[in-house]
Amino acid sequence: MNKILLIIQREYLSRVKKKSFIVMTFLTPIIIAGFYGLIIYFSIKGINDKIDKVAVINENKTLTEELTSNKNVTYEYVDESVQNLKKNLGKSDFDYILYLPDFDIESPKGIELIGKKQAGLTLDGRVSDSIEDLIRDYKLKKSGISQADLDHLKSKVNIITKKIGDTGREENSSAGASTVIAFVAGVLMFMFIMLYGVQVMRGVIEEKTSRIIEIMISSVKPFQLMMGKIIGIALVGLTQFLLWIILTFSISASAVSVFVSKDDAKKIATSGSQITPVNPGAQQIQAAALSDGPLGKVQQSIKNLDLGKIITIFIVYFLGGDLFYSALYAAIGSAVDSETETQQFMMPVMMPLLLSYALSLSVVTNDPYGNVAFWLSMIPFTSPIAMVVRLPYGVPGWELALSIVILIAGFIGTVWFAARIYRVGILMYGKKASFKEMVKWFWYKN
Amino acid sequence: MLSVRNIVKQYASHRALDDVSLEVERGKIFGLLGPNGAGKTSLIRIITQITAPDSGEVIFNGQQLNANHINRIGYLPEERGLYKKMQIGEQILYLSKLKGLSTAEATKRIKYWFDKLDMGSWWNKKVEDLSKGMQQKVQFVATILHNPELIILDEPFSGFDPVNADLIKNEILELNAQGTTFIFSTHRMESVEELCDNIALIDKSKKILDGAVTDIKSSYRNNTYCIEFTGKVDFSNIDLFEVLEKKDVKSGTNLKFKLIRDYTANDVLAYMIPKVSINHFTEVIPSMNDIFIEHVKK
Repeated sequence: MNKILLIIQREYLSRVKKKSFIVMTFLTPIIIAGFYGLIIYFSIKGINDKIDKVAVINENKTLTEELTSNKNVTYEYVDESVQNLKKNLGKSDFDYILYLPDFDIESPKGIELIGKKQAGLTLDGRVSDSIEDLIRDYKLKKSGISQADLDHLKSKVNIITKKIGDTGREENSSAGASTVIAFVAGVLMFMFIMLYGVQVMRGVIEEKTSRIIEIMISSVKPFQLMMGKIIGIALVGLTQFLLWIILTFSISASAVSVFVSKDDAKKIATSGSQITPVNPGAQQIQAAALSDGPLGKVQQSIKNLDLGKIITIFIVYFLGGDLFYSALYAAIGSAVDSETETQQFMMPVMMPLLLSYALSLSVVTNDPYGNVAFWLSMIPFTSPIAMVVRLPYGVPGWELALSIVILIAGFIGTVWFAARIYRVGILMYGKKASFKEMVKWFWYKN
Repeated sequence: MLSVRNIVKQYASHRALDDVSLEVERGKIFGLLGPNGAGKTSLIRIITQITAPDSGEVIFNGQQLNANHINRIGYLPEERGLYKKMQIGEQILYLSKLKGLSTAEATKRIKYWFDKLDMGSWWNKKVEDLSKGMQQKVQFVATILHNPELIILDEPFSGFDPVNADLIKNEILELNAQGTTFIFSTHRMESVEELCDNIALIDKSKKILDGAVTDIKSSYRNNTYCIEFTGKVDFSNIDLFEVLEKKDVKSGTNLKFKLIRDYTANDVLAYMIPKVSINHFTEVIPSMNDIFIEHVKK
């Protein structure tokens, strides 16, 4: 036992002291925080965005009602020729010219949006929405609906999704926030298991090719060496993860305070839940949803999710999944003489991992309580990723407990299996390993 | 101190060791000889408890070999390496802590050996910056640092330059004088004759010869001698010996002969001395190399 501790210590310290580890650990949160800061920065910029000023030239005889300005676009009706306006656009304070020809109301054609710059997709959408609304209103009015009724028809809908928690208490949740968290957790888990599994494999190959293995093995049992390496590297992963969490949160917090003034911060916080109904039109809702809605909403809901619980369970599954897969990677490493030979063995180990990654981020996020989600989060090959993806949507306690028990049993199984291959593999040189060969090793007596 | 009894080890279709038994006496240097692939390494791996035999037993100091013995055995494998990125001092420290030494004790001993073997400034060097010979020195120190009772060296001199080989050889002899038992595994016979007290010869998974080096050699004596002299003597009607080879060299005549009947070397000398002046006279004893080759060819 003491020997395993020594091995864990060496595997851990030799990796944590590496420059690449330190750089990765500190750079990644800075990058994440940077992105976060940028998103916030742009979402504020979106709110404070300069309003596009559009000169409208209306030659249409049917569409006499004027387009209503909103907080993103102001329409100003001018009585000038297109040619003239085009010529003077540079000097005028208009950004765009909207030309409405005398089209047939049933098939609006020939509408032009001319600008100093090419109009972006957002503006294009906003303007065409405005015109569409205008045409619809015209048609509705023509069929005898009064202006009052029309105003009454327009309503702003903002769904608050709730779920009943384990305790029967209603919890605010948001499918959007859950999906974001699920996605991040799934990607992280996949990345960590891959990254640290491969590190275990490399470590084993390094010991084999440098021939230190022969010296090691005369002092420690192969099992101790393998376990020490797997646990040591898992702890490196855990350290990195925890540092990322701490650093990301602290750097993000300071980034937010740098990028965002207090007023803006308030605006972000409230923008999701409360959209000031200056002129409650369809455009308004859409515009709000486009620029600041999702972010505010997600932020709000993240607060409602129990992040502490999610992170704790993530760590449990990270350790379980990492040990589970690392053992298999160690077996692969022991069977080959160099990294180039690992390809054929990597496939069967990668497959369940890739599969659970792909399925988790599609099927499971769509139906987090379905059969596929349930089974994926029970089978230890897929449960580390599937379960953390399901987690933000809420998972019954018994399912969680069962899945963890199965995972623990699973990694005891793979460790046992891998150890039997490892003990033979590490002492085999120059022999081209195959699956057949590995099966033979498995059955070797000591 | 170590007794290997009827060991059998089977690898799938290949039998690596077939009923091998041998005795290693305390305080002796034991040579484990055999061509490549004979089963030497398989046997060593059983003694170092890397693998277990299919049948047979190993007795260490009167006890069945068990995990407690690991720390009392030092093993320098033939295929040996070190962690390339690790510092030398740290690395030896790690290896000796795995053998049960405390950090303080290990540090003290490493310093002692570094001084002794001119490795004083190596503590912070990385393995990748050392030459192969230098790495071997590090490995040697790592092998002996925990003061094992039994040290097993597999081809210890491969890769050493003559100066360092000599240095290591002297350390081996010194440790041996202090009571450490050694097992040498090698196919280089010169080193066997110089160092080993006893040997066992393994070929094709079987032990084919063992015993004290001097005994084995004398059992291969066949009353052949070599004499060099100046002067003239007629051998045509001598019935003391049979001439095997005669050649004239600058310094005189070189004669290789085999005694016949019960005559001894003294009889030959008594006959020769009045007639010629003798430059040298030796018994031709087959070298271990000859014995080795003769046995392996059979």
